[in-house]
Amino acid sequence: MTGLLAIGFLVAASLAIGLYGVRAARTTPDFLVASRRVRSRWNAMAIAGEYVSAASVLGLAGLLLKDGIGTMWYAVGFTAGYVAVVALVAGPMRRSGAYTVPDFAEYRLGSRRVRRLCGLVVLVIMWLYLVPQFKGAGVVLHLVSGTPYWVGVVLAGLVVSGSIAVGGMRSATYVQAFHYLVKLVFIAVPAVFLTVRAGADVRAAALTPVTVPEGWSRPLLDIGDSGYPLLSTWSVLLATTLGAVGLPHVIMRFHTSSSPRAARRVAVLVIALLGVFYLFPVVYGLLGRVMTPHLVRSGTTDTVAVVLPGQVAPGTLGSVLTALVAAGAFAAFLSTSSGLLLALAGGLSHDLFGSGLSRLRLAVAVGAGVAVLLSLPAAHVDINVMVGWAFAVAASTFCPLLVLGIWWPGLTRGGAVAGLAVGAVSATGAALVSALGEFSGLLTVLLAQPASWTVPLAFATMVGVSRRRGAPPEGAEQAVLRLHAP
Amino acid sequence: MSGARGRVKVTSPQTRIALARGHRGTRRPLPLPGPEDPPLARRVFAAQRRAALRTLALLGLVLFGTSGVIAALPALDRLAVGGVPVSWLVLAAATYPLLLLIAVAHVRTAERTEAAEGHPRPGDRP
Repeated sequence: MTGLLAIGFLVAASLAIGLYGVRAARTTPDFLVASRRVRSRWNAMAIAGEYVSAASVLGLAGLLLKDGIGTMWYAVGFTAGYVAVVALVAGPMRRSGAYTVPDFAEYRLGSRRVRRLCGLVVLVIMWLYLVPQFKGAGVVLHLVSGTPYWVGVVLAGLVVSGSIAVGGMRSATYVQAFHYLVKLVFIAVPAVFLTVRAGADVRAAALTPVTVPEGWSRPLLDIGDSGYPLLSTWSVLLATTLGAVGLPHVIMRFHTSSSPRAARRVAVLVIALLGVFYLFPVVYGLLGRVMTPHLVRSGTTDTVAVVLPGQVAPGTLGSVLTALVAAGAFAAFLSTSSGLLLALAGGLSHDLFGSGLSRLRLAVAVGAGVAVLLSLPAAHVDINVMVGWAFAVAASTFCPLLVLGIWWPGLTRGGAVAGLAVGAVSATGAALVSALGEFSGLLTVLLAQPASWTVPLAFATMVGVSRRRGAPPEGAEQAVLRLHAP
Repeated sequence: MSGARGRVKVTSPQTRIALARGHRGTRRPLPLPGPEDPPLARRVFAAQRRAALRTLALLGLVLFGTSGVIAALPALDRLAVGGVPVSWLVLAAATYPLLLLIAVAHVRTAERTEAAEGHPRPGDRP
C-alpha cells in the first residue's frame, strides 16, 4: 500500500510540474525542443533523468543478479556513449538547426525520401526502447499493489501520453530533471541503508567471487554462456556507446541548450551525473545474489531492486524502502518514456505526415497505444536485453548517418539510404531471430548482440555506396563546414 | 531585379530563415547560408576532426583496454582491495572518472579551437 501511495504521489507531482510547463508549449519548437530556453544545469539533469531508464534502475540490477557482474559493462557503455556524443555530435547537431534525425537528414542530404526512411527507423528504435519501459511499469505496479501486469502497462501509457500531449518538451524537461533527483535519491538512499542493515556477513558474502554459476563473478559479459566473453562484452560496448550517438531522443535534447558550446558542456555534465547514478545498481545486484537467489529460479530477476528491501528489512521499514525504490523505478520509466514518446511523435507526425501541434498530440497517443500493445506479451523478456537491441539498431543506423553526415562531405543520398536499410534490417533481424530461436556458440553472440558486425557493415555500406555511385548533394561541403563554424 | 516592382523587401537573413520555416504545413530544408570565410571554416573543421578522432581513440582505449585487461588477467578477480576484487572495482567504479576526464579534455580542446580560430556568430549566442 505504501508503494502505491509513493507512486501515486510521484505521478501527481510529475503531472503538476508538467502542467506548470504547459504555459509555454504553444508552438512546434516549444513542443519538441522547449524553444531552446532551458538552463544548463536543469537541462543536464533532465537529459540524465531521461536517459536513466527502467533499464538502469531495474534492468541492470536484475541482469547482474541473473548473468553476473559483467552486466555493468552496459552501464559503462551507456555512460561512454555521452563521451562519443560530446566528441561527435553535440555541437554540430545544435548548429545544424535540425530538431530530429530526419530533419538533419533533410538538411544534409536535401531529400524527402531519406527523411521518410529516417522517420521509419525512428519508429523502430523508439518502440524497441518503449516496450521495456512499459514492461518495467507493469512489473513494479504488480509487485507493490498486486494489480495484473497489463494494468500497470496501460496506466503508464495513459499517464505518459497525457502529460506529454499537453506540455511537450518544455514541460518534459522540468519533469525529467525532477525525476533524475527522484531516481538518484530513491535508489541511493535504500542502497546505502540496505548495505549497512544487511550486516557484515552478507556484505562479505556479496563481495566474494563465486564459482557457481560459472563465470558469474568474471567481470565480462558472456551472452548466453556462449564461451566468447570478450566478443560479447565488446559487442555490447559498441552498441551502447555508438547507440547513444544515434538515439533520436538523445539527439533532440541538444536543441534545448542555448548554444553549441552549452550543448557540449551539458553533455559532459551528463557523464558525471550518470557515473554517480551507476554506482548504485551494483549494490542491489550483489546483495540480491545473497538475499534473493530465488528470483533467478522464478525468472523474475528484473524485480530484484523492489523485492530486496523487504528481504533485508522486514516490516514497516522494509515496505517504506520498497515504496521508495518503486517510486524511483516509476520515475525512471515515466521520464524515459516521455522523451521516447516525444521523439516517436516527432517521427510519426513531423516526418511522416507533416507537422502541426494537434497532429503531434495525436501522434503521441498513437505511439503510446502501439507501445502498450507491444508490451503486453513482453512480460518475460529481460528489460536490459531489449534496451540493448534498441541501442544496437541506433548504432547501426543513425550513428553512421550522423557521424558521416557531420564529418564527411562525401556522403551521398544513395549511400545514406543503402547504409540505413542494411543497418536497420541486419540489426533488427538479428534481434528478432535471437528472440525467436535457440542457438549455440558464436552464433548466439552474433544474433543476441549484433552490433559487432552490423555497425561496421552499416558504416562500410554508407562509405562504399557513396564512393561508387552518385555525387554528394549540391552544397554538401558548405553544409558540413557550417556545422563546425565557430 | 526587384527594381521592376519598385519595392524592395528588407529583412535580416535570420528573419528570412524564421519566416521560411514558419508555421506552414510542411517544412522545407533550412535555407542556411554557407560559412562566411571558407578557408577559415576548413581549418576549424580539420582541427575539430583531429580532436574528435583523438577523443574516440582514447575512448576506445579505455573501453577495450579495461575489458581486455580483465579478460587477459583472471588473477585480478582473486586480488582484493578492501574486500572487493580488483577487476570488479575497475569495471564498476574506475571507468567513470576516466570517461569524464576524456570528455572534459575534448571540450577544452574544441572550445580552444573555436576561440583561436573564429569569432562567435550572433546565432550561436544564448
